Amino acid sequence: MRGGKRPSALGALSRLREIELRGLGAAGRARNVPYLLLGIGLILFPILDSNASHVDVAADAGHWILLALGLNIVVGYAGLLDLGYAAFFAIGSYAFAILASGQFNIHISFWLLLFASAFIAAFFGLVLGAPTLRLRGDYLAIVTLGFGEIVPRVFKNASIFTGGVNGIGGVDQPRLPPLFGWNGRFGFNPVPYYYLILLIIVVSIVLISNLRNSRLGRAWMAIREDEVAAAATGINTVTTKLLAFALGASFSGFAGTYYASKLFIVTPETFTFSVSVTVLVMVVLGGMGNMRGVIVGAMLVYFIEYYLLHQLPGWIASASQALNIDFLTKLDIGGYVQRSTSLIFGAILVLVMLLRPQGLIPSAQRKVELELGTTEEAVADLRGSA
Amino acid sequence: MPILEVRGLTKRFGGLVAVNNLNLSVEAGEIFAMIGPNGAGKTTVFNLVAGLYKPTSGRIVFDGTSAYPVRDFWQTYLPPLAGYYTVADAARRAIGAGPLPLGLRPHAVTKLGIARTFQNIRLFSYMTALENVMVGEHPRMHAQVWDSLLHTPYAQHEERRVRDRAMDLLRDVGLENYADQYARNLPYGSQRRLEIARALATEPKLLMLDEPAAGFNPQEKAQLMGLIQEIRGRGITIFLIEHDMKVVMEISERIVVLDYGEKIAEGPPQKVRTDPRVIEAYLGKSA
Repeated sequence: MRGGKRPSALGALSRLREIELRGLGAAGRARNVPYLLLGIGLILFPILDSNASHVDVAADAGHWILLALGLNIVVGYAGLLDLGYAAFFAIGSYAFAILASGQFNIHISFWLLLFASAFIAAFFGLVLGAPTLRLRGDYLAIVTLGFGEIVPRVFKNASIFTGGVNGIGGVDQPRLPPLFGWNGRFGFNPVPYYYLILLIIVVSIVLISNLRNSRLGRAWMAIREDEVAAAATGINTVTTKLLAFALGASFSGFAGTYYASKLFIVTPETFTFSVSVTVLVMVVLGGMGNMRGVIVGAMLVYFIEYYLLHQLPGWIASASQALNIDFLTKLDIGGYVQRSTSLIFGAILVLVMLLRPQGLIPSAQRKVELELGTTEEAVADLRGSA
Repeated sequence: MPILEVRGLTKRFGGLVAVNNLNLSVEAGEIFAMIGPNGAGKTTVFNLVAGLYKPTSGRIVFDGTSAYPVRDFWQTYLPPLAGYYTVADAARRAIGAGPLPLGLRPHAVTKLGIARTFQNIRLFSYMTALENVMVGEHPRMHAQVWDSLLHTPYAQHEERRVRDRAMDLLRDVGLENYADQYARNLPYGSQRRLEIARALATEPKLLMLDEPAAGFNPQEKAQLMGLIQEIRGRGITIFLIEHDMKVVMEISERIVVLDYGEKIAEGPPQKVRTDPRVIEAYLGKSA
């Protein structure tokens, strides 16, 4: 309009940049090399590390990553503070446990239920999301907190369906046709679980990044940034927010199914408020809205909370014994550490948030965009002066 | 033919009457300005038309669509309850209270073809300029959840088309160099223009600009007036609120003057400028 259309050279440049941003250009390929190496490393990990307990820890970390990715849709993309995410995890787990166990003698295939419970969790995402639509910020958080408390309590008390406090035991395991001399049964072996959750996470990452770069993803972020402006720009805030709840919940449906089958048992005590908080911590600590950050955050928090803090007292005790200093052994530092794991965990969280208030990996993308923006501006300036 | 007609529009906030029995009509293809002292109710009128507020009473007719249908959240999502409103409506009519407050929800108003900018700029700060404009294309896009989730060929095609069009719009307002910058990092004047680009992306028939020249220097004001003329040249009707009299008198074809929520004058700039009531509203009563 004003001054007519710019010469096409600039258009070509911007198109080139778009291709680069999509990771198709030469620079994009170079950037993908670390991910390729990481992928190979993850696939080879159970083969190289013969210690089954390590693989088990990794396989357990997997469902936390999945939960964090799901909550990231609600909190990170749509900006809806959800303090009751464990409710959807519970719904996913129980949906699977009821439909694949001796509870009612129903044994539907794991592979079918993996998707079915995602749908069930998504449905409850809609149901629990609907009453919160008119609420914002703190008020929304309080209502979701309520749901997070109600859902496990319902499972605890509806004992005809859910086995009450004892939960549902003897949950089915996934089975595959025998291949490569493996009988196809998952059983207690963590290795097939590890590969299963790896596959689910990879698929989830692809799906979520599709969402992020789509019409829906932009609508979520617009609502996060300014709900009034989003509505004035033609976004139906009601359906868009409901979709955030539903799609966010669906990933905890995957996680719940996986978790129930790996653990053999589902009990209401598993889905406490602390689960919701832990997942939220993973998302915030890693960097809200950034999938890479959220994954790193989930792994780090899981590692600290379920591995480091469990092992630390033992390590310290054996270290002081190995040093063989009477004074240290008497002090029983290991015992102190054991009693103060929550304190240490809290201190680590405070420290991380003080050092990186935006999360561990907040702005990698932002930086790329800003750098590209400025170089292009410089080129345009040069063109203008020439 | 009027594209926007406002009949007997009233909005009360508790005891305060922000807009009082306002009648006005905006003709298709014109540049129509609304002026008035601070607190006269101008932005309230915009918010009423845009569906952000529900009128206390009155009708808003846009582009031949009769009054906005009576619909709010519960009526949209719980159809059985709509019956209640019909009954309540009839009862209110019977006692002469008029129908219940009207109004589509804001996104539906935008879909009808009314786009707006805000007095205090409301961009999506942590989205790039290009993404801001692409959000504006949202109501004209058709990709469903599955398309978004699975990145289907249809979604990819639409995404490319929308991206190109958003880039064109950025070029139109002279912001192509800022495409990948976060909206919050743009200079003030560029943010105002980005808001206009975002509004244009919704393909409006009526564009409502809330003080578009606020904080501009004379050169920027001249640029802005050029831009507004260009937009009108595309057949988009302009309805603007502006405090800068030079801008208003120069570009608008008709002006309505509001004071204390009431219309005190209406007409072409020359007539409004000399209207004693307008002078009084702005300068106070002469002794």
